[in-house]
Amino acid sequence: MFATLVGKALVPVGLAVTGFMVVCCLILYSVIREDLHRGEIVHASNLADTILKSARYAMHNSDREMLATIIRNVGGQKGVDHVRIFNKRGIVTFSATAGELNRQVDKHAEGCIVCHRGTVPVTTLGTMEQARSFINSHGMGVMAITTPIYNEPECSSAACHVHLPEQKILGTLDIGLSRTELEKSLAMLRIEMLIFTVMSLILTIGGVTALLRRNVFLPLQRLRHYVELSAEDDDFPEPPPHLPHDLDIIATSYYNAKKDSVGSRRNSESIDVVNTEHGV
Amino acid sequence: MTDIREHQLSTDGNETRSNADILRQELSDEINRLNRFSVRGILALSLFLVVSLLAWRGFFFLPAPDTVTAFLGKPPSARIIGIVLLIYTFSALILSLSRMTAGVEHRSSFSHVGYLTAFFLFYYFGKSLEDNYWAVFGAGITILGVESYRIWAFCSEGIAKNREDIAYVTRTGRPPPQE
Repeated sequence: MFATLVGKALVPVGLAVTGFMVVCCLILYSVIREDLHRGEIVHASNLADTILKSARYAMHNSDREMLATIIRNVGGQKGVDHVRIFNKRGIVTFSATAGELNRQVDKHAEGCIVCHRGTVPVTTLGTMEQARSFINSHGMGVMAITTPIYNEPECSSAACHVHLPEQKILGTLDIGLSRTELEKSLAMLRIEMLIFTVMSLILTIGGVTALLRRNVFLPLQRLRHYVELSAEDDDFPEPPPHLPHDLDIIATSYYNAKKDSVGSRRNSESIDVVNTEHGV
Repeated sequence: MTDIREHQLSTDGNETRSNADILRQELSDEINRLNRFSVRGILALSLFLVVSLLAWRGFFFLPAPDTVTAFLGKPPSARIIGIVLLIYTFSALILSLSRMTAGVEHRSSFSHVGYLTAFFLFYYFGKSLEDNYWAVFGAGITILGVESYRIWAFCSEGIAKNREDIAYVTRTGRPPPQE
């Protein structure tokens, strides 16, 4: 395969084009996935802010029933895996899942360790650092974000339940969004890229093969047949018409050389015949 | 006088034979060198596969990315590394195909293994090796595959030509005509 002209022409082109397309697709896929993941985090962060703003009035009035209803309603929305609020000690005080209430989470668990790594917990984190991805107990991919509930002047000065002004964080809101739709989109993107790569590959290899066959291999084959035919017989034909310029020069040169050779041989043969007839 | 001429002719004949032997030996040495050189691409590819295996295992023998980034500073983002990888792959392929066209003997394979290892390391220290492993692996296989083919084709042609030259020297006792 590698010794033929087809192999020599197609192997490097095919390898380079296929490889480069695959690398492009992989890098593009990675970039798109990163962008989608970033967008998902921003979306979850905005949703967490919306919940906190919606629940603000209920918190200020210490209306636990209203807060619990808000959390339950948001948690019941399609695509939301969980919504919960922890107090400062890490106990779940509000949750969309009833069974989680009053449970305490480990500060070293994923999502908590980011802030509780040192002796003094970190009170401010960037949006990207607040996010974490994991597989839940149903085997579903989840992207969760943990947002701190900061102490505000209205909180520390409220008449109902006073928080100390020095207390920076009152608790955290933890919201998890299902990644099922995102993973479906990514799977679709993978298939589309695969199809695109295969189609481009077929088109490239097919195009190169067609052009080579039309412009190189077929004229070469005609030239080879012409040379083989001319070698067998002294009444050799004219070079084949419509050859590419380079091959036409070869064919014409061969034709002229062959004509000269046959002509000189015929001359010497006729001289021999004359000499024989005259007894020389 | 006749003796002297015969002696001179015999000396000339011996000298020609000796030159032909030297030439044959040189051509044989060149064939051996090309034979050794032809596996260079495969060796580079094998070395890259070993590096890829270590990257697949997460460079377990290297310090954690946080330790290194604390010392060296923040690494470039995965997006920037991706763009550089794309430009590098494109340039390397164009360069390799150009060398193939020009029939240049170039020993560049192992340097590519170095560059690709650097990409693995950048992704590792940027904590995005898992997401971008296959991109670097694909780039490596493509570049080193084309390079291996180029080196192999170059050596095959060289070996065939040297064998023809040996046959010519053996037949005529003269050096082959230069192209």
